[in-house]
Amino acid sequence: MTIKTFRARIRQSIVDDNLQLALDNNAARRREGRLAAFASFPDHQERRARAHAVKADVVAHLDQYLDQFIARLTANGIRVHRAADAGEALRIFMEIASTIQRPQADSGVESRPILVAKSKSMLSEEIDFNHALQASGMCAVETDLGEYIVQLRGERPSHIITPAVHLRRGDVGRLFADKLGIPYTEDIPVLTNTARKVLRDIFLTADIGISGVNFGVVESGTLALVTNEGNGRMCTTIPPVHVALMGIERLVPSLDDLALFLSLLARSATGQKLSVYTSLINSPLPGQTRHLILLDNGRSALQASPLAESLFCIRCGACLNACPVFREAGGHAYGSVYPGPIGSVISCALVDPQLSSLAQASSLCGACNEACPVDIDLPGMLLRIRSGHTPQMTTMETKEGVGIPFAVKLGLKGFSLAAATSGLFAIFQTLGGLLSRIYSPRRSYMHLPAWTGWGYSKDFPRLAVRPFRAHWGKIVQHVVERSAPLQENQKPSKTSPLTSNKTISEQFIEELTALGGHSYIVSKKELPARLAEFLQSKSIDRVFVDDDGARFVTGISTVRRPDPSVRAGVTGALAGVAETGSLLLTSLGGETLKASLLPEVHIAVLKVSRILSALPDVFRLPEVTTASAGVVITGPSRTADIEMTLTIGVHGPGELHVFLIDDSLPV
Amino acid sequence: MSETIQLFITCLIDSFFPRVGEAMVNVLNRAGVRVEFPSAQTCCGQPPFNAGFRSTAAPMARHTIRVFEKTSGAIIIPSGSCAAMVRYGYLELFKDDPAWLERARALSGRIYEFTEYLVDMCGITELSARWPGKLTYHPSCHLLRSLGVDRQPRALLSFVKEAEIIELPEREDCCGFGGVFSVEHPELSAEFLKRKIANIDKTGSPTLVVADTGCLMHIQGGLTRQGKNQRVLHIAEVLDNL
Repeated sequence: MTIKTFRARIRQSIVDDNLQLALDNNAARRREGRLAAFASFPDHQERRARAHAVKADVVAHLDQYLDQFIARLTANGIRVHRAADAGEALRIFMEIASTIQRPQADSGVESRPILVAKSKSMLSEEIDFNHALQASGMCAVETDLGEYIVQLRGERPSHIITPAVHLRRGDVGRLFADKLGIPYTEDIPVLTNTARKVLRDIFLTADIGISGVNFGVVESGTLALVTNEGNGRMCTTIPPVHVALMGIERLVPSLDDLALFLSLLARSATGQKLSVYTSLINSPLPGQTRHLILLDNGRSALQASPLAESLFCIRCGACLNACPVFREAGGHAYGSVYPGPIGSVISCALVDPQLSSLAQASSLCGACNEACPVDIDLPGMLLRIRSGHTPQMTTMETKEGVGIPFAVKLGLKGFSLAAATSGLFAIFQTLGGLLSRIYSPRRSYMHLPAWTGWGYSKDFPRLAVRPFRAHWGKIVQHVVERSAPLQENQKPSKTSPLTSNKTISEQFIEELTALGGHSYIVSKKELPARLAEFLQSKSIDRVFVDDDGARFVTGISTVRRPDPSVRAGVTGALAGVAETGSLLLTSLGGETLKASLLPEVHIAVLKVSRILSALPDVFRLPEVTTASAGVVITGPSRTADIEMTLTIGVHGPGELHVFLIDDSLPV
Repeated sequence: MSETIQLFITCLIDSFFPRVGEAMVNVLNRAGVRVEFPSAQTCCGQPPFNAGFRSTAAPMARHTIRVFEKTSGAIIIPSGSCAAMVRYGYLELFKDDPAWLERARALSGRIYEFTEYLVDMCGITELSARWPGKLTYHPSCHLLRSLGVDRQPRALLSFVKEAEIIELPEREDCCGFGGVFSVEHPELSAEFLKRKIANIDKTGSPTLVVADTGCLMHIQGGLTRQGKNQRVLHIAEVLDNL
């Protein structure tokens, strides 16, 4: 894409009122959300510096970390494949797909194509995986609400975490009326529920689930994946084959590091303390096959280039939301699946070398760096690209100022020559002063024509006839004597974090309630009766239970396998996290992961003594790594993919009830 | 006691706004600081550096280093972006040139932005300045984010007598200057500027104060084009008003 095409697209975006409203809305809400989330996080600058240091170490020693990571995953029973580019990734996937055992079709009836349920993955967008799968005769369905919407429209996402940010509710209403045959509506919960119903069938019948990976944990070989809607859990839990796609740089050394990055990711992306679901995947579930495709696709070249720091990115989208250029242009104008500041840096390496001209479209205001939770020097990276320092620089002739018009280039050269000596500089200043006076004898700001670029929207000051250097000799200085340097001004005292007298369980309950969850404190003895009473009050006569649930539920019929007619699931919870109101569940207790995911209502039972203070404490529990898979649940399933409007209950349960067994009480 | 500083006036103030330079000298004198002006100085090289023409920027940077190496003491720059260029940009520019990198590093340690120097080095916030009426302040991007200078200009303005400081809505948003960006992407630049001017209108203040002349000429240029009456002043001009 040339700079001309980009400018033409920007012009289109600027006059598209619908798009501008959507982008203003995104900028305002996301920025507000992020600032609010970090305001309650006193040590966030220190965490940011730590995150930067961790990523710097990972990227500097990527090969060693990858070797360790792959060894762990392989020992855990996950099949690891390495792909150099999109073609290799596709070939690997086709091989996996070809091994799938499918029910024999009736003779004469052609079997349906292989159905792939896809959780959101920017990597799959980068290599245009959906189209490649379609071309190979498979049916791949996006299951993140925003991705599903853009897929139905035949578009690409316009934002890395909010794919349909360019659309408004009316656009989605028309789309669903047209493609799904529902009556036109602008009611966001109705639209969301429609997608839920359609996609539920996809999850339950898919042959393969594809997901991305947010973080790969080297020490344990854990794949961490976050979603709010629950589609990530579905794709990695329900289909018999799970294929995860991961960029080689997405590693963190330890589970402690994982907790650090998760705390930054959700706050930066959506203003949440933690995403609703953090899946922790260690090995295949019983009866399941898991694969990981580790993709390079230009990352090694980035690592070896002056843009290596861009590999620290955790794809939170904060730089897009902070960027004034993104706010005007929107994601599609960039012509890359990675828009915004980070996109203008990595697209030339991961998507198309031509996209290096995107780097010119920045005022270098630095709002992106300020918003970046990993403190990537995005303006610095843009400057390097502008000067020709791209990963292609070893193979191509290094070109400075790619995308800059010839006239501007000439002007800068001329200016540089004039500034070589002060004598010449002074001559040009005087000349400029006189010329600008001839051009604009009366007005001190000159009206330049639009084609000059500057004259498009503003006037330009006349040069002074006598520059400062000409005044200097005549300035008489009256230096005031000071007795002594004054004291350095008192810097504002560091605000200490709010100390709280709240108990851990009180904090847990407060956080859970803020998320829209409910909690009930009961004694161990009264639990079965209270639980039965609760279920009856909701007219629930059958529940999907895991091992713990089976022990606690009495007097109500239970099932141990997924059943679409069952509205509620009762599970145990291994631990709670006070600072985020989260629950840890693992695959160790029977069908815990499914019983907490498929029904509309999830009821979890947790001992108060198992509530720990913070996420790192929970990650130190041995079950986190010994279970095939686990999930950290932070509130009911939610989405804000349509007009940033929070809607509760997407693919996962819309209701979360936690029964807290107060085990400090005598039994 | 008094200190002596080296004034790096910046090419914009030198060529377009010499009155800002004079105001600065007065203010520094009042703060007990004697000013020297190495007259061989020209431009720091930021315009070609930011546009990507490092081979064009390097001779300008070397010229600047040579000029100021001959002097001693703090170097004061009345512009956030130029100060950031000499303090940090030169280190990037010469990152593969050890000899010049060494010289750039030595210079980098002497660089102060004007308000930063007054407040952090001289420990002065009260300069007996007077400004009857409303003032609103736009924090320039490089000043705010590259140098982290924000409390200093605010402190200085808070001591200006008779001034009513009005907070600028969405104050940290870029005005759309960005050097060559304002010429190369006129449409984007125009949208940023439109929003900035709308926010200035909301304050009802006739005067916008900035500490960077790039933003000054950009915002004033936009106001003039729109036929508006607000004036944009460099903070030195306000502090020089007694």
